[in-house]
Amino acid sequence: MSFLEALAIGLVEARRHWGQTLLSLLGLVLGTGSIVTVLALFGGQAKITQDFVAEVGGFGTVVVRDREQSERPTARELASDRLTYDDAAYLKERATTLAAVAPGWANELEYRAGAVHFAGQVIGTTPDYAIINDIRPLVGRYLGDLDVRRRARVMVLGWKFADSLFGDPEAALGRLVTLGGANFTVVGVLQREEFYFAPWSGNELEYRNERAYVPITTAFSQYTGVDERLSFLTLKAASPAGARAAQGQATAMLALRHGVEDFDVTPSGQGGNGDAEFFKLFDFIFLVVGVVSLVAGGVVIANILLASVVERVREFGTRMALGATAFQIFAQVVAQVVVVASLGGLLGLGLGWALTGTVATVMQMPAAVTAPVAGLALVTSLGVGLVAGIYPAWRAARMAPVEALRYA
Amino acid sequence: MPLIDASGLAKLYRLGRVDVAALRGVDVTVERGEYVAIMGPSGSGKSTLMHILGCLDWPTSGSYVLDGEDVSGLRGRALARVRNRKVGFVFQTFNLMPRMTIDENVALPLQYRGGVTRRDRLRRARALLARFGLDPRIGHRPDELSGGERQRVAVARALIGEPAILLIDEPTGNLDSHAGAEVLRAFREVHQGGNTIVMVTHDARVAEEAQRVIQIADGRVAA
Repeated sequence: MSFLEALAIGLVEARRHWGQTLLSLLGLVLGTGSIVTVLALFGGQAKITQDFVAEVGGFGTVVVRDREQSERPTARELASDRLTYDDAAYLKERATTLAAVAPGWANELEYRAGAVHFAGQVIGTTPDYAIINDIRPLVGRYLGDLDVRRRARVMVLGWKFADSLFGDPEAALGRLVTLGGANFTVVGVLQREEFYFAPWSGNELEYRNERAYVPITTAFSQYTGVDERLSFLTLKAASPAGARAAQGQATAMLALRHGVEDFDVTPSGQGGNGDAEFFKLFDFIFLVVGVVSLVAGGVVIANILLASVVERVREFGTRMALGATAFQIFAQVVAQVVVVASLGGLLGLGLGWALTGTVATVMQMPAAVTAPVAGLALVTSLGVGLVAGIYPAWRAARMAPVEALRYA
Repeated sequence: MPLIDASGLAKLYRLGRVDVAALRGVDVTVERGEYVAIMGPSGSGKSTLMHILGCLDWPTSGSYVLDGEDVSGLRGRALARVRNRKVGFVFQTFNLMPRMTIDENVALPLQYRGGVTRRDRLRRARALLARFGLDPRIGHRPDELSGGERQRVAVARALIGEPAILLIDEPTGNLDSHAGAEVLRAFREVHQGGNTIVMVTHDARVAEEAQRVIQIADGRVAA
């Protein structure tokens, strides 16, 4: 008897034992369905977190901040100038692993235009800031090198502030705003930035719409005088993969200049934003749940197939008595398992897809059954099915026919 | 040369740490065309002997020559071939496949033998069933048949491969006296058709059907 014929027997058997086949199928469908659903929801969450990190500066971005001085600072710590504009200029000129260096000075100042006035955040920085943070002007332009060199009194307004000051963001272009007592010309208004983890949560990027950018040199001369210390220093690696190298080089160069490592270097998207942290934890929980559901689904599938094969060991004994070889018994079981497991896997995939769609709609969560998820679920159902179905068949096939016939 | 020539058959079972001897050196010869009954009380080893003769099990020691071939050393594929071609085994509980029709059941050994198309297998199975008066039952499943009819289906399945020997385990164990008599008549016809039969029974009246009775007691041939 050829393998094909053994396969044919297996198929016929799957149809004959339709009750058992149905039960196995149910286990497979539920097992695979739960795997698909959980992994799809997990995937959706992972993707949204990734999107968020990309949105707030992307991978390969590094933020440097002054480290809080120790309680009893050493002489070297006291001698250090901390992070300064000169540090930024030095890195920009010398660091080979960096694509962009954006020094930042942040403060709370009073905005005033006509009768409207309020206090809000101001960022003093350089044109590189736009490269790192993916800034897109709605009208006008962002800060230029010339602005920085000439200490120009120009500002780029966030969408919300432009709207608050002039009633219409686009109308702000070319107008004057008094910022902490000094007049600035609005040379650009930025597009509204928004990002939602879920429709019911707020705009995670609203803070970016509620600020203005001025040349950092202007900020120093207007508001701090000789003190040119930075609030933060943002660096972008030449490539996302080079983030670690960039971090190392920046650390080494700054430590050399300061004589002491009195600053912290952190990759963006980590520690920068509490929500991103929270969603990373969320990711981890989903991963655990995904693995658990994979195992649980696998156990359900294995159990049902195992029961259906063990129940039939005596039948295998009869077949062996009629002259079936171990291989023929084996091929029959493999055929049955492959058919049932693939059918169950496919139906489970359908169920998981439907469930994912429902959950995604009801909970308004982003989730998609991607090719890897579908593949993983199918491989699991088929793999578990083969192991669970073939192991008892292999054992039965190795028994003497009498043993199989007596098998209880 | 006898059809069955077994000598010194012994079978040990390991139960925990002790070996239990089911057979302690049995010599059996069966000539071609003979009708032999094996009798003995339960636990005497007659079932073990039957299983070894049917190649469903193998002896721990001793030699067994079936139809000119020493099969005591055969295992796996080779033994499966012997079971398929030389032995027709009728189980006490018939062991028919419940979800197959009786013609499919009877055709099963030919399927495992290979080389016969499904159409041919079923044609031969139906012809054989007709010989046993079961043609009205063709296409039915075993559970739709009476005990005697099922017994005859099991015999047809054992005979379809034209085996050298028909081995029957407790033929009337699961039948009432009327069905039992019917079945014994069928065996007589099969024997008269030239087949060699060895059956195991504990019923002396059934054993009377046979030409010769081998008594087994305590793992040995008693008489």
